[in-house]
Amino acid sequence: MQNTPLRSSLSIAVLLTLVPLTSALAHTGAGVASGLQSGFLHPITGFDHLVAMVAVGLWGAQLRNPAIWILPITFPLVMAMGGLLGVSGVPLPLSEPVVALSGIALGLLIALHVRLPLVVAMLVVGIFAVFHGYAHGRELPDAADPTAYAVGFVVATGLLHLCGIVIGLLIMWPIGARAVRACGAAIGCVGAYFLLASLGVIQ
Amino acid sequence: VKVLHRLAAAAVLLLAPSAAEAHLVNTRLGDFYGGALHPLTAFEEVLPWLALAALAAFQGAARARWLVVVFPLSLFAGCALSQLLPSPSFIPAIAVALIAITGLSVAAAVRLPLPVLLGLTAVMGLVHGLQNGQAMTATTDRLLFISGVTAIGYGVMTIATGAAIAFLRGVGGWRPIALRASGSWVAAVGIMVLALQFLTPVTN
Repeated sequence: MQNTPLRSSLSIAVLLTLVPLTSALAHTGAGVASGLQSGFLHPITGFDHLVAMVAVGLWGAQLRNPAIWILPITFPLVMAMGGLLGVSGVPLPLSEPVVALSGIALGLLIALHVRLPLVVAMLVVGIFAVFHGYAHGRELPDAADPTAYAVGFVVATGLLHLCGIVIGLLIMWPIGARAVRACGAAIGCVGAYFLLASLGVIQ
Repeated sequence: VKVLHRLAAAAVLLLAPSAAEAHLVNTRLGDFYGGALHPLTAFEEVLPWLALAALAAFQGAARARWLVVVFPLSLFAGCALSQLLPSPSFIPAIAVALIAITGLSVAAAVRLPLPVLLGLTAVMGLVHGLQNGQAMTATTDRLLFISGVTAIGYGVMTIATGAAIAFLRGVGGWRPIALRASGSWVAAVGIMVLALQFLTPVTN
């Protein structure tokens, strides 16, 4: 008998998915799909962005409650301010080197297990969030669908934070805590590579 | 199991319209489905609907129930108004501002007085109703289209609010945090898209 509601739910779900949805008016689905895809891939395909986002989650997990949830909530909100600067075209000098620097700084904070006061940690993450948001925001006006683009890169950023938090949960075990610190060191190295690349030291 | 059913139904409802596009004149589904699918094809409407449902869940089930009545009625009124009055030029900006406002409210998990919650719900319903109503063409069956918009508003708000309430009632202190984090995502999108409305974007 318990399977009856499950069966009926599945039937409704199947029926709904069978409805051909190619014909609602006004909005262009192609633009939405394209905007969503390009926005989602922007933080993921930029390795300097990717490692810094994971680092935010890792550091939050390392700092434990309440930083584990305050840092990932702070980041997208402050990132939006950076995005706002990017959209409006306000010049933000050295944005690429600072994005790379964020990887180095966050990686070092994790590797050295630095426990800063929460407000200071929020400030550090917030400053870097402005530069990451700026880089994404610069692309926003060119997107096929700016809202879908924004949804894509915010969701990707949030999921990368979540990845960092999940990896950071390893700190519950002594060997896991060492592995997390090693991840921090690796992130710092990636950040250093991108910093040197952005300064033209290496090609 | 009930929660899983609701979440599965919500996921199907929310994910399926991602393929929707084109125009009503091309539809073979009729004006009711045209109206029902139209709001789901734009993040500008889906995002604040979900955020409003999450915000209502933070207010508790007793208060959240009001949304199920007020929201679809406001949508209906907005659609009807769109046929009587020209839509003011500031409506798109208000629609985008609603994304930021609801997202920030969820991120902060604010406790709102019932009249404020219902006022926000009514404004959102009216604004989105006006926007959806404008999509009707001369050949659209107005009653069917508006019924479709109202029905989907009722359906989505009921499922999303129920799912959010059930989610918060589950075991684990991480649940409100997860909902608040998703609110911060919605707010971030709203702030940036709002900037596009007011600032002169610089294209690369």
